[in-house]
Amino acid sequence: MTNILTSLSISHPVQAIIVGAVLAFLTAQVIMNVVVNAATTTVNGWRTTMKAGQPGNGILLRAAFARVLPAVNVAQEAAYWTTTKDSAGQTLRGQRDYVLQFPAGQLPPNEAFWSLTMTDVVGFMVKNPIDRYSVGSRSGLTPNADGSIDLYLQRTAPAGHESNWLPTPAGNFKLMLRAYLPGRAILDGAYHVPPVKSVR
Amino acid sequence: MNRLILKYGYPMTFVILAILAWTVYRIFSAGGSGLLGFVVVAVIVWGLGTVVFLYLWPTFAYSAFKRAVVQHGLGGGPIPVNTLYATPTRVSPAASNASLLATGTDDVLYVGGWLDLANGPLVLHVPDMAGRYYSVQFTDPSDGADFAYVGKRATGTAAGEYLISGPGWKGTVPQGMAPIASPNKSALVVGRVFVASESDLPTAYGLAQQLQLTPLSH
Repeated sequence: MTNILTSLSISHPVQAIIVGAVLAFLTAQVIMNVVVNAATTTVNGWRTTMKAGQPGNGILLRAAFARVLPAVNVAQEAAYWTTTKDSAGQTLRGQRDYVLQFPAGQLPPNEAFWSLTMTDVVGFMVKNPIDRYSVGSRSGLTPNADGSIDLYLQRTAPAGHESNWLPTPAGNFKLMLRAYLPGRAILDGAYHVPPVKSVR
Repeated sequence: MNRLILKYGYPMTFVILAILAWTVYRIFSAGGSGLLGFVVVAVIVWGLGTVVFLYLWPTFAYSAFKRAVVQHGLGGGPIPVNTLYATPTRVSPAASNASLLATGTDDVLYVGGWLDLANGPLVLHVPDMAGRYYSVQFTDPSDGADFAYVGKRATGTAAGEYLISGPGWKGTVPQGMAPIASPNKSALVVGRVFVASESDLPTAYGLAQQLQLTPLSH
């Protein structure tokens, strides 16, 4: 006991506090990342969570969402999915062409609107020749004969399918799909966004 | 700060750990007599500090929002406390420098504001949105909970007045107003008003501007 007290008294308390505080900060970051990943589901490459912003979240979820999704809507108001991967797990990038096909009747169910936005990997929109940064329920998409809807994600205009074209930037990119006033199938977890398929 | 951590997290962590290792090495090479005490203090601070950081993280994060709203605003200059500001245009590549709006959302107009309810309740005035999708989200900065909504889902799209009061307020809610009790004396307000098209923008902006706050006494 005396030994411990002695060594405490001649230790370097200020350094020890700094070291402990820094380790605490880093540990908190790691914990928040783990919690976010645990609260996030990934289906077909699309990541989403239903827990952000919910009253009653515990200390871990509060901290984690304040870090990654501050001030975001609760899921009952808007559901969000993001992806940076195609169906094969490859990074989405402007050098390739992609198609996102919604089978007939499989658009995100909602009572307000849905929208698919194209940004760089950080989340900023990137200028394109037709000034189109999102497509969705307000953009007049053309369905196929069987009622399915193909969205063309590529740099150059898809001949004959311009109305369903969302231009991609030159580099890697991120897609965000949003459904406002999401339907029950989304909130139940029964609805899955289809995968982004690389076609060229 | 969040953004800085997201962007440079790994190099920052490496540098910090290198400094720590160097500090410990210095103590150890100076004889190591104080090492036990050093480790005991560091581990205690580490454990307690982790809990404290997690507990306070929402407060850190939302104080950054407060600064952003009150000092920088959403493109139209600082937004005074207890007032709302509506963005006149949708998010676009040109507007991407406004870091708060890097949301990849270009079909709504954002409305933002910071509430301080210490001096009494505020009244939120909502115009008739005529079925248009909109929402006004109230977020508690101490825990990030969206504790109340006004909007199409929560209250419908008719015109209305909502009384937002802080903790401990004992007054009477005036007739015709719907009460919203804030668990914290501060609150972040995020409004979203749907824009159907470029030609719909003036209408949507006109409605967004009519989302206004006044003190109860006026």
